[in-house]
Amino acid sequence: MLLPTFHSFVRHGVLRIGAITWFVSFAGLAMAADEGLEFFEKKIRPVLVERCYKCHSSETAKPKGGLRLDRQASVLQGGDSGAALVPGKSDESLLMKAISWSGVVSEMPPDRKLPDQVLADFREWVARGAAFPVDSAPSAAKPRAVDVEQGRGFWSFQPVRTLPTPKVSDPSWPLRKIDSFVLEQLDRQQVRPAPEADRRALIRRLSFDLLGLPPTFAETEAFVADESPDAYERLVERYLASPHYGERWGRHWLDVARYAEDHPTSEATCKPPRFPFRYRDWVIQALNDDLPYDEFVRRQLAADLLDVPRSELAALGFLGLSPVYHKEPKLAADVISVIVADEWDERLDTVTRSFLGLTVACARCHDHKFDPIKTDDYYALAGVMASTQLVEWPLVETSPEEAAALTEVQRQIVDVELRSDYAKKNRKTPKAEGVDVAPFDAEVARWEAALKALKETKLFEGSIATGVRDAGLWINGDDPAWTLLDYQQGRPRDLPVFVRGNPANPGSIVPRRFLEVLSPRDAKPFQQGSGRRELAEAIIRDSAPLAARVIVNRGWGWHFDRPLVTTPSNFGRLGDAPSHPELLDDLTARFIESGWSLKWLHREIVLSAAWRQASRSPTDFHDRDPDNRLLWRMNRRRLEAEASRDAVLSSSGELNTTMQGPSVSLDDEKFRRRTVYGIVSRQKPADLFRLFDFPDAKRHTENRLPTTTPLQQLYLLNSPFLQQQAEATARSVLDEQPSSGEETARNLFRRILLRDPTTEELKESLTLVHNAAGGVLREGWTLLAHSLFAANEFLYVE
Amino acid sequence: MHPNLDHSSIGLSRRQLLSSLGAGFGTLALADLLHADQAPSGVVTPNAAKAKHVIFLFMAGGPSHIDLFDPKPSLKKFAGQRPAGADLRTERVTGGLLPAPWEFQPGGESGLLISDLLPQLRACADDLCLVRSMVGGNPNHAPAANHLFSGRIDQIHPSLGAWVSYGLGTENRNLPGFVSLSDGGTASRYVRNGYLPGEHQGTPINIAEKDPEKMVRYLRNGTLNREQQERQLEFIARLNRRQLAASGDDPALEARIRAMETAFRMQFAAGDVFDIRSETQATHEEYGSSSFARGCLISRRLVERGVRYIHVELGGWDHHENIDKSITSLSRQIDQPIAALLRDLKRRGLLDETLVVWGGEFGRTPVSESGNGRDHNHYGFTMWLAGGGIKGGVAYGATDEFGFRAVENRVSVHDLHATLLHLLGFDHERLTYRYSGRDFRLTDVHGEVVQELLA
Repeated sequence: MLLPTFHSFVRHGVLRIGAITWFVSFAGLAMAADEGLEFFEKKIRPVLVERCYKCHSSETAKPKGGLRLDRQASVLQGGDSGAALVPGKSDESLLMKAISWSGVVSEMPPDRKLPDQVLADFREWVARGAAFPVDSAPSAAKPRAVDVEQGRGFWSFQPVRTLPTPKVSDPSWPLRKIDSFVLEQLDRQQVRPAPEADRRALIRRLSFDLLGLPPTFAETEAFVADESPDAYERLVERYLASPHYGERWGRHWLDVARYAEDHPTSEATCKPPRFPFRYRDWVIQALNDDLPYDEFVRRQLAADLLDVPRSELAALGFLGLSPVYHKEPKLAADVISVIVADEWDERLDTVTRSFLGLTVACARCHDHKFDPIKTDDYYALAGVMASTQLVEWPLVETSPEEAAALTEVQRQIVDVELRSDYAKKNRKTPKAEGVDVAPFDAEVARWEAALKALKETKLFEGSIATGVRDAGLWINGDDPAWTLLDYQQGRPRDLPVFVRGNPANPGSIVPRRFLEVLSPRDAKPFQQGSGRRELAEAIIRDSAPLAARVIVNRGWGWHFDRPLVTTPSNFGRLGDAPSHPELLDDLTARFIESGWSLKWLHREIVLSAAWRQASRSPTDFHDRDPDNRLLWRMNRRRLEAEASRDAVLSSSGELNTTMQGPSVSLDDEKFRRRTVYGIVSRQKPADLFRLFDFPDAKRHTENRLPTTTPLQQLYLLNSPFLQQQAEATARSVLDEQPSSGEETARNLFRRILLRDPTTEELKESLTLVHNAAGGVLREGWTLLAHSLFAANEFLYVE
Repeated sequence: MHPNLDHSSIGLSRRQLLSSLGAGFGTLALADLLHADQAPSGVVTPNAAKAKHVIFLFMAGGPSHIDLFDPKPSLKKFAGQRPAGADLRTERVTGGLLPAPWEFQPGGESGLLISDLLPQLRACADDLCLVRSMVGGNPNHAPAANHLFSGRIDQIHPSLGAWVSYGLGTENRNLPGFVSLSDGGTASRYVRNGYLPGEHQGTPINIAEKDPEKMVRYLRNGTLNREQQERQLEFIARLNRRQLAASGDDPALEARIRAMETAFRMQFAAGDVFDIRSETQATHEEYGSSSFARGCLISRRLVERGVRYIHVELGGWDHHENIDKSITSLSRQIDQPIAALLRDLKRRGLLDETLVVWGGEFGRTPVSESGNGRDHNHYGFTMWLAGGGIKGGVAYGATDEFGFRAVENRVSVHDLHATLLHLLGFDHERLTYRYSGRDFRLTDVHGEVVQELLA
């Protein structure tokens, strides 16, 4: 017989040692059981009752950290952080670490540390085996699991298909297919649609809707007078071909993409991006070019991984301009990990809500409570974000080294500047205390030299955009005094589940992959790099029906001021059901057939009879459909911040229509370009934006909430911008040398309200002009212009 | 009520619909209006509320509790040393323990110990509830201040004042419900509405200015006098009314007509409230003349006029070096006006319904930085509360023997929020707002009302 090998000997040895240890401790427990229980009842239980059970007992509906301390089984099983106790091993027990306020885990009880004597009792109790009366209470029931298979049946995940055109009461009314669906529902409620809006209202509506600008008075008159049957269709085509279309609809998308040109704060590690406007310009151009929406999505998520011209990398600003928060290297790795996890969360939330209308971020701490999305799904996607770094990209072909240096060198400069700064500050305390500062001086010199060398590095200087590349991020806390963000290019990172969202409490690793409920049953984890490209493909291929429904619904909402699904970024169970489900399905199916063309969608909608309705119906159907869910008339809407400012500039004749390029502050008095070229700041939003419900660009926005406040009116009545523009308008009208006061007043009405004044209005205008400004006529005309700008008729679109 | 206001599945809640109508509802709080049919979450019966207003005196930068409110004799004993327990990690390199060079004396009948830096405030000790065991969430300024005001370190979530405005509605239709007073042209960074509707953001008032017309942006028209503007508004109103008639009744159009009228009145109401020249000489002398004093005095005037939440911000407390000199001058700036504010509110019977809160985003270390300064300390610091249902003359909680770390009855920012909301009549777990697919609240998943602070 062969002698046992060394390895098997060791193995057996270990086993034996283990067995002996187990036996000893078991015996120890058994012998001391009664004594131990007495100790527990006397010294431990009263403390647990008094100081712990408020948050950690079965009496509490939601024990903190999932930890219950009133049953033996639950103590041993522990809470979210794992077993609370290792009987016999006081030092290894989480409970002991917590109550001794060691700083390793949460300090418990949080309000006041237990007295030293009590801590000693606990230590002894655990060391002696942590005796606990045996209980027969069942362990807590597991929470209801998410049923993915059942979830696959949810309405918004179903395939879309074209449907037969419904039969309606009045076959002469529908102009497009969507009208039949609208009328079918109106018929059911015995509600009649409003007549078509008059031509003046129609051209103004169409112009604001497609271009975000008013038509001129001359254009309005020409359209009113044009009796050719295709006058309206030609107008639609003209507007869709205008470059102003991209400026208008690009801005809608920028709300979704939470586009901004700085970060929520501006410390060293979150300096504003240098060329944010490249993304804004890319969006505008893509819309003007009618880039198919599926490609629009693909490029924004993964242009760097596609075979597209370098200039298309500007599309990556969708993720590249994500808000970044300061990560002070002096903070512990745990703290930095939380900040970083929050950033990944924001990006994941923006991607999933923007493209899929799903609130995946709700599954960060627990399985989604309403939708078939598990915590695993969340971390599978969070891994994609953890493998994606925000970088600068040259927009022309360069060597990979040159491209990489752009980001690397700038990151190093930030790091070395911080180190140099701290070296200088750290010198002060020893100096004040009379300690030798030579080592500190050496440190300062070292970093200053490094900084000088870095700043002399030659970097690419051509056209640059902010985007992303594949690089996994690890938080490196090896140096306790300097936490590092360790990006590893080309190396993706799978994340563990962070139990209850806490990065300091990792669970099992989840491979990067797409949401299970939207994937084929045989889907594999992502294989290529970060997985961004596969993510994009999964969104526009595997989940095409959902992704297309979401954008069609957004488009509908931007046209009608009320989407079919009123929660455009939530197509889950907590979202609203569509007001016209068949319409949404049919329109979505045809949108996909059109090649995901947004301009096709615009035509389909603005050419419809539903969209062309007047905003006032001769019959009031408020009682049957108070919020016009069924579309028995058009919704009247207030101009947004951008459209109102652009309309004022357009009326005064001062609008500068230059496109593209760096943004300018909206508070700059000389700035006359369209508002979409104004700076969008996450830190200090312009007054115009703050007052007129411009969305907070720190997070994705599904729709703007218009509010009406007195402060807005103060802006309209008293701001220098309105005052100047009123002056410019009056001046420009007077420069045309009108022959009479009546003519001047009439021309101001035409300029601003696109119509002639009534006799009564004319009279009132002249009275205002002559009386209000102390007889100075020019000021009187300015006042009239200003008043027209502040009128509801100017600020609302019929 | 107009049929258009019926609650429906549009996704807009009645609350949003009503708030989109802004000024039109006069002195009624949204909460009251809504109470009848669909009690919104978080709003409890008004009679449970002790406080109706909040004045938050925010000392930006992190004032030293060790020099002001938390006496630590041990610091003298161990001066210059770093005994165990005095070596917590903070932002910068720190040295030995640095004693406060001021004496602490008992104030009022309660005998609360307060430093010689704040003699006038000390005289109000019986109204103060010192919380000496505050614990922050982050040692950097912006995240810590975000945490103090919104419960999170990021910049996304609405600030306390916006939650209060959202929950309570406005009491004065000529003024916003949430006003932010700061010494500088820009608004405080901690008065945002986040995802709450825009009208709940803090309206910035620049108290560096003395002229009310310069304090509020766009308050007045530079070229028109009152009579001229009245004519202008009459003209606009006529246009609007005609358009309204032609459009059929539209609550949005009506709301804007009313908002325009309110704006007009507000120009003069605001001129009145911010114009402290009408105050007596005695009042001016009592408060003092600094811009912070102006902020305190204006706060009282805003409370009198029904403004719900007033944020007064004073920076300069980040004393990494030369703390003795700097804290002396800042303490002098706040001592007189805050004491005057407390006395004044009391005299007018307003202190019982006004919560006054004082504090910074964190405190400072007992160990030195740069020899004569102190580093950031979020492990333990002092804030105080007064008025509005708060127990006066008590010190709650304690830090360790050096004042480094809160060790007894620790109060987190979430606990503070829960307590403030409780005093305003809210259950902090029920005051929620649906955003991004879930219901958010100020206290996230934390916070417990600190019963011991309640009168």
